[in-house]
Amino acid sequence: MRTRPEYKTGDILTGPIRGITIERIEWYDSAMLSAATNELRQVGSNIHTDPEYAKSQGLEQVNADGMIMANWCSEMMVHAFGVHYVARGELRTKFIRQVLLGTLLHVKGRIRSATPQENGNVTYVVDIWCEDQHGMKLTEGDASVEVAA
Amino acid sequence: MLGGYISDLDKGDVFEPVEYELTPFMCTEYAHGVEESSELFHSDLNEIGRQARPPTMIHVDKMRILEKNCLKEQRIAGMKGPDARIHYEYHAKQHSPAYVGEKLIVTGHIVDKYVLRDRQYLWYFLEVQTADGRLVTTYNDRTLLRFKKVGEAR
Repeated sequence: MRTRPEYKTGDILTGPIRGITIERIEWYDSAMLSAATNELRQVGSNIHTDPEYAKSQGLEQVNADGMIMANWCSEMMVHAFGVHYVARGELRTKFIRQVLLGTLLHVKGRIRSATPQENGNVTYVVDIWCEDQHGMKLTEGDASVEVAA
Repeated sequence: MLGGYISDLDKGDVFEPVEYELTPFMCTEYAHGVEESSELFHSDLNEIGRQARPPTMIHVDKMRILEKNCLKEQRIAGMKGPDARIHYEYHAKQHSPAYVGEKLIVTGHIVDKYVLRDRQYLWYFLEVQTADGRLVTTYNDRTLLRFKKVGEAR
């Protein structure tokens, strides 16, 4: 049975709160490679996993792949809107600051608008962002989803 | 220019498409790697009765199409180019779910290559369809070609 989520403008969505660890960085990078090759893979050296290589590229230290934040934002949308988001959702994230090891990342959202359509569907627009444990915004963006009647 | 490094890509370049069949392993492994627990991505024991891929897997399609079109910097194979890139913007629109067992076709091109605040960016556009022509995802992606500023020594 498909559920029909309902929100109103200003409602807050709460996503995951997770620490950025080297394990999580490697989980993502390895999973991406595994999904691309259809076999279990382990990430090698890159700016997310290798401190020396990161420094050679002008970075102070390794950072989290932006797709980790995109995925955690997407996860919040999946849990808020379910299959409606998977079928008819849109997500935009800008990685405005590096996300470093030791960051406790908070994924958050707020319903910007909820607009009923003539066919009974409702289109939601959601402001989305990730901030650290001090409230500094590290990723910003928005999402939309059409929830079927 | 296709066939070289990712940084050789230029405005107007049209990628050679990629085709593959979506497997249960691809979906569940990717979801597992980002701690996404929704059963939609791990099995068909969910409200739609089919295993779908996480919408964000469009980014894996980007890696696939780069692997095929940038032969000097095949990241999936572990190759590195002269500079690492920094992802700046992810923007994906879902038109329908992609289900396990479906053959997917990824096409795309370079929309623009530009300098902003002394850093060079590449703007990709990708589209994913099923083999029978159903649109799955459209994707815009902006990436810094190197963290160091234009003109800064390697």
